[in-house]
Amino acid sequence: MKKLCLLTVFGFFAFTLAAQNVYLTKDAKINFNSSTPIEDIIAESNQATAVIDIEKNGVQFSVLTTSFKFRRALMEEHFNENYIESPKFPKATFKGKITSSMDWKSDKTTTVDVKGDLTMHGVTKEFTFQAQITPAKEKIAASATLKITPEQFNIAIPSAVREKIAKEVTLKIDASFVPYH
Amino acid sequence: MTSKKTLRIVVWVFFLGLLLAFGSIYYVFNMPHRNLAKETPSFTLSATQLISEFKKDEVGANKKYLNQALSISGQVKSVRNLENHGMVFSLEDAMEGVSCSIDSVDVVKYKSKLSTITEGTKASFKGRCSGMLMDIQLINCVPE
Repeated sequence: MKKLCLLTVFGFFAFTLAAQNVYLTKDAKINFNSSTPIEDIIAESNQATAVIDIEKNGVQFSVLTTSFKFRRALMEEHFNENYIESPKFPKATFKGKITSSMDWKSDKTTTVDVKGDLTMHGVTKEFTFQAQITPAKEKIAASATLKITPEQFNIAIPSAVREKIAKEVTLKIDASFVPYH
Repeated sequence: MTSKKTLRIVVWVFFLGLLLAFGSIYYVFNMPHRNLAKETPSFTLSATQLISEFKKDEVGANKKYLNQALSISGQVKSVRNLENHGMVFSLEDAMEGVSCSIDSVDVVKYKSKLSTITEGTKASFKGRCSGMLMDIQLINCVPE
């Protein structure tokens, strides 16, 4: 049952779940920053679920959009109701692959290229970005930064507040994976 | 004389209105975050019940529960301390149960109560439902 459910959520790894090559975390941190000189807009979620398959070099992230915390309650409300439309699109997901070479046996931090599809607000877009991975036997640490624009995901921002929100939003991901048994 | 009086009233009303407008803008802009401790839950149910509803019909369950205050009870299967000093209690299943996350401020506030909630015990949390990934997530939780 456990594996069946994982399969529906992370169907991508359908054939590899039985092996010991899957690392998982349910407390990955995703931070986004769209600050401008006029307004600091920073939000963070500590509840993203992420999976790495070290055999197939697959990477996957999912986060519930309502789990992002903002400094101001009003910003949180606008983010959920007007921009990301959480009731309609409660999840944001990334499914991708590490396209450059990666030695999982080394314990040095390696910078790799990741390519995959980011889906949010009902729109899927392909992205390529760099990630830093530090493997260890019982724990894999990974971090990545990518830049997106609200327009790429059909998120309309009223012109009255356009100047307050950065043209490019920086997403920062920090995760510490443990083996999934 | 009368026109002076009218002018005075108009000026007063104008300033009062201005004050009210600024006051409400200031309030809305700085309105406080939801405080789950003070909310009456919209639904009270067991973790098992919530899990089965989400697994049967996720879209329907999201419509019903998303952003609502829920009171959920069940057996604690895992307790995790987060890097940001928050805590996560998983009910009924460590992977696919109901994950109740407590913000760091509330970890401090409910310290003694939380210390009694360990793996295997029965517990109840009030929190805001943010949907399902592998598990169903309840955020801004407080122990009950």
